[in-house]
Amino acid sequence: MASDALTNRAHTTATAAGRRRLLSPRAGLTALAVVLSLISLFPVLWMVTSSFKTRATVTDGRLIPRDFTFQNFVYVFTEVPFGRYLWNSFFISTVITVAALFFHSMAAYALARLRFPGREKLFGAIFATLLVTAPVVLIPLFLVARQLGLLDSYAGLIIPAIFNAFGIFLLRQFYLGLPKELEEAAVIDGCGHWRVYWNIVLPMSRPILSALAIFFFLANWNAFVWPLVATSDQDLTVVQLGISSFQTQYTSNWNYILAAATVAALPMLALFFVFQRQIVESIKTSGLK
Amino acid sequence: MSSVAAQERRRRATVAPAQSPATSGRRPRLSRKHREWLAAGLFLAPDVLGLLVFVAIPMVLSIGLSFFQVSGFGSYEWIGLGNYRRMVNDPLFWDSMKITGLYVVFLVPLLFCVSLGLGLLVKQKLPGVGVYRTMLFMPYVISLVVVGVLWKFLLDEQTGVVNRAMRAAGFDGESWLGSPSLALGCVIAVMVWVMMGYYMIIFLAGLQEIPQEFYEAAKLDGAGPWTTFRTITWPLLRPTSFFVLLMSTVAAITGGLDLIFVLTNGGPANGTSLAIFYIYQQAFGFGEYGYASAMGSFLVLIMVLISAVLFTFTRGGRFDDGE
Amino acid sequence: MLQHGTEAGRPTTSPGTSRRRFLTAVAGAGSAVAAPALLTGCGTARAKGGNLQFWNFYGPQRSPDPAVNAQAKWFVDMVDRWNATHKARIDLVYLPQPTYLNGFKLPSAFATGEGPDIFLLSPGDFLRYYNGGVLADLTPHMEKAAIDDFGSALDSRMVDGKVYALPMEIEPLAMFYAQDVWEKAGLSEADIPTTWDQMLDIGDKLRTKTRAGLVFETRPGYYQNFTWYPWMWQGGGEVLDEHGDVAFDSKATRQALGLWQDAVRHGIAPRTLPAAADVVGGFKGGNVAMWQQGIWNVSSFKAFAPKYRYGVFKLPTPPGGRYVTALGGWSFCANAQGRNPEAAAEFCVWALGSMRDESINRMVEWCVGTKSDVAPRDSALERGSAKGGYDSAIMKQFKDEIFPGGRGEPRYPPVVYKAISDAIQGTMLAGHDVASDAERAARSIAAYTKSYKGASLI
Repeated sequence: MASDALTNRAHTTATAAGRRRLLSPRAGLTALAVVLSLISLFPVLWMVTSSFKTRATVTDGRLIPRDFTFQNFVYVFTEVPFGRYLWNSFFISTVITVAALFFHSMAAYALARLRFPGREKLFGAIFATLLVTAPVVLIPLFLVARQLGLLDSYAGLIIPAIFNAFGIFLLRQFYLGLPKELEEAAVIDGCGHWRVYWNIVLPMSRPILSALAIFFFLANWNAFVWPLVATSDQDLTVVQLGISSFQTQYTSNWNYILAAATVAALPMLALFFVFQRQIVESIKTSGLK
Repeated sequence: MSSVAAQERRRRATVAPAQSPATSGRRPRLSRKHREWLAAGLFLAPDVLGLLVFVAIPMVLSIGLSFFQVSGFGSYEWIGLGNYRRMVNDPLFWDSMKITGLYVVFLVPLLFCVSLGLGLLVKQKLPGVGVYRTMLFMPYVISLVVVGVLWKFLLDEQTGVVNRAMRAAGFDGESWLGSPSLALGCVIAVMVWVMMGYYMIIFLAGLQEIPQEFYEAAKLDGAGPWTTFRTITWPLLRPTSFFVLLMSTVAAITGGLDLIFVLTNGGPANGTSLAIFYIYQQAFGFGEYGYASAMGSFLVLIMVLISAVLFTFTRGGRFDDGE
Repeated sequence: MLQHGTEAGRPTTSPGTSRRRFLTAVAGAGSAVAAPALLTGCGTARAKGGNLQFWNFYGPQRSPDPAVNAQAKWFVDMVDRWNATHKARIDLVYLPQPTYLNGFKLPSAFATGEGPDIFLLSPGDFLRYYNGGVLADLTPHMEKAAIDDFGSALDSRMVDGKVYALPMEIEPLAMFYAQDVWEKAGLSEADIPTTWDQMLDIGDKLRTKTRAGLVFETRPGYYQNFTWYPWMWQGGGEVLDEHGDVAFDSKATRQALGLWQDAVRHGIAPRTLPAAADVVGGFKGGNVAMWQQGIWNVSSFKAFAPKYRYGVFKLPTPPGGRYVTALGGWSFCANAQGRNPEAAAEFCVWALGSMRDESINRMVEWCVGTKSDVAPRDSALERGSAKGGYDSAIMKQFKDEIFPGGRGEPRYPPVVYKAISDAIQGTMLAGHDVASDAERAARSIAAYTKSYKGASLI
């Protein structure tokens, strides 16, 4: 990718020579963009290449490993139940994402389209919960989860993470922007509200749902504080927790630590490269409305 | 009995489709309006219940707990405003508030400028601009735990690549995570690195909303880039700017716990002990749930105030656009 | 437990009531009813049956470190043996050490009535748990002879003559040094420092850009305080005097804070730990010349770098000072509010504190077999010596020179710990004035002890 950018840059400078007056600010900007991108990319790149180094060379200060080895990854998966951690994170994030999208889209649809008394007040109240950020209520949330018997279980990792007003808010904005005609036609045809939602609204919201899905998945894959507080069973360890305790246990075995970090980051990086456009779209929606 | 019910059901099944559009108003069932209410209730039930149980009740509980002295071993003593008095007189809490203040004051404007700059940059039709956007955004998808681990490696005093580069350039190398102000600076810099791509995209979206004609008109008037930015981009971008400010301020006050845990653990010399970290430490480290709840409630109050102030401005910004 | 409920209902007369309509409403609805009910949790832990839970940070686990595997096996074998011979069965629950040490796992479990039945406790945490009423009295299960056998090792684990925790090990601190580095600099055994100034000079001489001359713990925590106390004690300093009055603001305290501050200020001691706190790795990688560390590293060196040449020496003393080192080490505790406190207490005594051979030999195995520690029981120390556990030059030095000047880790509660920690951190790493930080710490300790209710702090 870096070389790509570099050729682009070379290309720009070459043509710039011809039409100097027009292009030189652009060439400057391109160069700036290339440099900034490389700075942004560099730490991640360093992590990935270092994870292929041996214990002896991991801190040698070279970008490209001299003794290329896969051993660190083998180690991470055989000596530590990293597969289990990855599965836990994957399972939890998937269930949360699906449940959250389902519940939020229902709620958002009701808030955007159905008429009932106190609708605006309810929306205001839901919106206000955005101000209550998780770390501040961590202690009582812990107590609530305990009282409901949710500690140290998948349910405890999943259920409290489903509910957040942000998703409802974004989906409501989306539904407000949808044309009403289709639904109205359906209602006239005698469809109940459920069928309107299921057969018409849900299929129409596919673009935003897929964008949000990635966003939710990302957020929950990367979650750390709640799993830290809510679980002590080793079998429930999620990947972020795994990394953090791995890191303190292996202190200076950077080759293993970075391999583990790479393994934890890789699914998200892959997801990002595949679904880049959806992610960017979902962020744009969040910012604009 | 069951056969009667079955008969009844069958009768309805055959009759209902024919009847329903015409006679729905007459049936002794819910009126259309009430059915809509019922549907809304059912649609909203899971989320409202969930938010109530996992957000609203904990918040109320947090306020409630803040009036108790909690031993951490199951005894609870009502002490009224005792925890709040303790908070007012706790120099460590105010130190952590000061650090939070410093953190916000440096992080938010820095993040704002960097991401606005990047947004302006990647809005240009540069060759390979998609690639730059991707690379600038990428750090955002990595978890703060991994980010912390990674930067701990890069910033290591003896073997880290940052110091290696500095030594190669003839400098001495710094103990990045070993002195309070440098460590706080590192946390801020790392946060900028992580978040800049996210806000860049938000700015980009805001910039793309600005009608192209304005720029063309400005060009015809012979306005330079700075004048264009000042007279067109900046005022029209105001809603986005306020959104970014609000989001990044709230995130700065309550977020970053993961990164602090891994990178500095609040040290050195409490130099990165943000309020949220201090609260966490009091609660889960020392079992002071009551005291921690008092401080947590105070923090929420502060955020409500900040949000209220910023919200007022956001509205102002939007109305200005209309003119 | 619910006495506060009535108090909550009573109109409060505290100042500041006037401007609290909102607060009282919330307090009335939210806290008086919901919070305590939720918090006390109706004694779930007691009602819950099942096996006793033994939380520890050793096993069962698999590790790249053979020494750690052996330690895990010691725990597993012990519990298997108990389960084979007793009716009350025990489950061994492993928590990674960082989670256990710097964490909240234990506190939050106890806060919600889900505390383990048997657990490992450090001296620094003793009082909090004792005052919380969760430590079961082990004395009824112990023979008098066994209590005597432990001797002074029980001092910080007793309240009013009753034993509430049984130490499994004694871990003295000393200075570890790299012999190669030493010799290359033209130093010999005769140059081993006995005073602070000598130590700083040698540290200064041995340091390079990538090698720390002298390493003190840098990360805030109970452990850092533990490693700092000997420097204060050596000059005659105390946190609390024999009457329990605050004595922190003293010349000895300022001197000890100053030592660490000077070492860091002059670049002799690093601001962050070399090799990301990996002692063996740091020495082997040539990143350290001297490191104040504990006896437990002897077994790590044996496992990871058996050929590596290192030495240890007693902590040097200040002018006019007296040699002291700090003795750490964890102990077994039984939860007085657990599923079966009787059986849990019996287990602790059966495992470490009975006069039977099995119990003594188990401790020998732990202290000289799987780990490298001084045994807290005289009988175990003798048997360990007879088995050759202290024959190696280093272990012999630990047993005969370093350990005898030792003093157990104090049992100060969190507020006191935190005040001292802030003074150490502030002077060492933020360059605060030594005198004012010592004074500030003394003030907050005094404010705390004035209102403190509980077992004696010293």
